[in-house]
Amino acid sequence: MVAFPTDAWFQALIALIGDSASYREAAANWEGDIAFLIEAEPDRGLPQDAWGRLDLWHGECRGGGVVTPERGRAAAYVIRAPYSRWKEVVTGDLDPIKGMMQGKLKVEGDLPTIVREVRAASELVELTQQIRTEFPDEA
Amino acid sequence: MRAVVFDGVGRVRVDVVSDPVVEEPGDAVLRLTCAAICGSDLHFFHGKAPMSPGEGIGHEAVGVVEEVGDAVTRFAPGDRVVVAFDIVCGACWFCERGQTQLCEDFRNLGAGAFGGGLAGAQAERLRVPVADVNLLGIPHGVTDEAAVFVGDVLTTGWYAASIAGIGPQDTVAVVGVGPVGYCTVQAALTRGPRQVLALDRDPARLALAAAAGAVPIDVTARHPVTAVAEVTGGRGADIVIEAVGHPDAFDTAADVARRGATVVVVGMYTGETVSMQLGVWWARAIDLRFSGVCPVHAWWEGAMAELEAGRLDPMPLVSHRLPLAQAAHGYDLFDRREATKVLLVP
Repeated sequence: MVAFPTDAWFQALIALIGDSASYREAAANWEGDIAFLIEAEPDRGLPQDAWGRLDLWHGECRGGGVVTPERGRAAAYVIRAPYSRWKEVVTGDLDPIKGMMQGKLKVEGDLPTIVREVRAASELVELTQQIRTEFPDEA
Repeated sequence: MRAVVFDGVGRVRVDVVSDPVVEEPGDAVLRLTCAAICGSDLHFFHGKAPMSPGEGIGHEAVGVVEEVGDAVTRFAPGDRVVVAFDIVCGACWFCERGQTQLCEDFRNLGAGAFGGGLAGAQAERLRVPVADVNLLGIPHGVTDEAAVFVGDVLTTGWYAASIAGIGPQDTVAVVGVGPVGYCTVQAALTRGPRQVLALDRDPARLALAAAAGAVPIDVTARHPVTAVAEVTGGRGADIVIEAVGHPDAFDTAADVARRGATVVVVGMYTGETVSMQLGVWWARAIDLRFSGVCPVHAWWEGAMAELEAGRLDPMPLVSHRLPLAQAAHGYDLFDRREATKVLLVP
């Protein structure tokens, strides 16, 4: 089991992205790093905000992991939501594109560009579901 | 007479100033019996809004009419009255339609040049222009201390809840339960919604809101989005009233609202900015309503009637009663959030 949202969890995702031909194809046109702000929910085991980042480039992930808030805010795109929302994304209960359009996931960056990448987002979510994830409110 | 005046950023003092007199035929001069420190006084106290040292401050007061000008018809010496915090003409296109906050001659008491240079209401006496419009009589059964709230925060809460269009099945989230938010909670509850949620970070304010009948949500312990989602079937609140006036509160209000919600912003803003994805707001079909300053003249009779009937009760807010001479101490207490509401007795 890998704890979410730790650096080990992001490294597991990066490894899966590297092995995924379907993600490579779906995200062939994507350029730009994405930061994920997982907002604290002390009552659910996440006492402080956590920032993750993926450097995504034409179907590959060139690096990433847990980063400082300063590094996260410098990303081309920042997506933020409470921990519970991210958990819904990782478990497949919330479609991230719908979540962005409904304001459940808040995007800083060019929204039309990111919501066009429906297939890439879907592939990413499927990859997260391959990680045997341990959530802080279930630990 | 003595009056509280601005003394530079973070300071007020009590000065001896000239007694007010009737200057215009529509004026009344009051002997004040109670004044209050308002959250918007802190905008001047903090230097966020312009004010020069020596200018009078304060806009919440009640008193007794001492003298009236020739054109005043509704009031006479000896009448107990509450003062509107915003001073309007009562005759322009906007005033005739009840939108007195948009008056062509809009002024604020105790707001320096920003408010039209009128004296402050934290004083022993006060000149009130266009008295027939800017004063309201106090019923026998209402105390001065309770009535002082009708001139501003109680009526502002009543107004916010009224324009929000609260229905019986609605979940109402009030973001920020300081004095205006607290009064908004009470006013919202009179509309019979399914529930009223009070979001704040201050335990004392949350306790007051809970005692009034709201469900308290401590946003330092719970993420507001998750907490509101839990009690609304995952949707978010039907009605959100932002009663703080800070970009973080505005963000919270937007975040806890369900799709198709009404968001009323009653908190006061000056130069703040926020970043919004307009496409998301459009897709969410959010009905966003900026209240502006409360058009108190159009709503205060209703608020006074609710107060007299006991359905609204601002008195739990009062944490301190101080003599006017201790106004500086009152400001410090209020600024440090060690007081929920400070009354000053001239």
